[in-house]
Amino acid sequence: MENILELQQISKTFPKSNFTLDNVSFSLPYGAIGGFVGENGAGKTTTIGCILNTVRKDNGTVKLFGREMLDVDTALREKIGVVYDGDNFPSFWTAKQLSRVMAGFYAQWDDALFWHYLKRFQLLPEQKLRNYSRGMTMKLAIAVALSHRPQLLILDEATSGLDPVMRDEMLDVFLEFVQDERHSVLLSSHITSDLEKVADYITFLHNGRLLMTVSKNDLAYRYAVMRCRENQFRALDSGDIIAYRKRDYQIDVLVSDGEAARKKYHDVVVDHVSIDEMLLLLIKGIR
Amino acid sequence: MRGLLKNNIYATLSGGKLFGIFMCLVGSIAVSVVSQSLLIGYGLTGIVGFTVCALIVVQKEFTSKWGKYKLTLPVRRADIIKSQFWNHLIWLLVGVVFAGAGIGLSWLFHGCQFDQPLDILMLFALGVSISLFLGALYFPLFYLIGEERGEIILGIALLCAFVMDWGLISILNDLFGPGRTAILIETAALFVCSLSAFFLSCPLTTWIYSRKEY
Repeated sequence: MENILELQQISKTFPKSNFTLDNVSFSLPYGAIGGFVGENGAGKTTTIGCILNTVRKDNGTVKLFGREMLDVDTALREKIGVVYDGDNFPSFWTAKQLSRVMAGFYAQWDDALFWHYLKRFQLLPEQKLRNYSRGMTMKLAIAVALSHRPQLLILDEATSGLDPVMRDEMLDVFLEFVQDERHSVLLSSHITSDLEKVADYITFLHNGRLLMTVSKNDLAYRYAVMRCRENQFRALDSGDIIAYRKRDYQIDVLVSDGEAARKKYHDVVVDHVSIDEMLLLLIKGIR
Repeated sequence: MRGLLKNNIYATLSGGKLFGIFMCLVGSIAVSVVSQSLLIGYGLTGIVGFTVCALIVVQKEFTSKWGKYKLTLPVRRADIIKSQFWNHLIWLLVGVVFAGAGIGLSWLFHGCQFDQPLDILMLFALGVSISLFLGALYFPLFYLIGEERGEIILGIALLCAFVMDWGLISILNDLFGPGRTAILIETAALFVCSLSAFFLSCPLTTWIYSRKEY
């Protein structure tokens, strides 16, 4: 499968904050939505910074569309749409002014498409951005990111300021975007239910380290969580355990093959695992 | 580059419009009364003030994520810096036009209010060189010290620009004494020194900015 984005052994150390992004590797195929989850300070924004060259990586390679992107590769950046969390644009502009400025940056800027999104997202073109709500500024940033017809969308917590109805609409927009199999989305989010809805792959980060990347199918049909009592837990084969976490009356055990676990351990309850639960087991549990 | 220039001009316009209105009000007073010092103040404020507006905008970009967002646009870092230097020159020109209009109108209504017409050239040289020194100091310091200290850096750069001009004029006065030739030499020296500093500052700022992380 051809990848639109490939990270190999990316490392970055910030000596002042004592944070290290440690050998992060993952890839995103064409036509896919990749979810990026981890607690605050896990390294999601740093990884996105390394991808977009806003942060200088210490080691490793990032390939976008099959090649490394340098500062001079402006043509590659034409193909990327970016949305950051919060205010992406100066507050003294209007959406109309923003459109004029963006038309000067992007050769493929589509004014009609931008106005279509403004209408669809119910944004006022003449209003100063300082008067926009947080949700409106996020919708505007998504409209801008889509209006130069990029091939890859990179969104850093872009849905966090939106209400559930608008979030759902945005997720539909992302699904439409990847429909032709030539476009991809990398979406970092704390709202794991969003990723469950749209992501084809989910990458888990913790303390600057990559925990794992799983496909949505594997998450839905293969990975599972076993609810064990103390004696049941002691009888488990250690090779079956990815991570476990002691709760009040049970021990939750993450396994990579739920079906095999059901067959092997008849008396143990085996449940589907959500992204939230998997994240908690990987981060707070014992691996 | 077109997008960057548009961005900078739109951004400066938001504060520049207000400053333009202020300059019109002060200008109308400076033109209607006969006062050399008021006219000098108006001229210097106009030439330096618009470039200060342009510099304030550079910092304002970092109150949102726009400063970081720009790096994801199809532009090179060197072009971002070049566009800021160009923007500085554009607003310097606007300031010169404002100052020129005020002094020209005053001359039209009341005659030359300076001791000699050559003093007007000196006034413009002084204003332009303060603006150029200001830009030459502000841009590298801004990216070197940090965006969050923009106001302090602007204040320091403005003071330093005044001191540099004052120092330069004092040295040249000592060397050449008063007179027409001295004024011409001082004017040329102010232009040459400030322009050199401004154009040398651009690659230096680019070098600093190319190492910045956001």
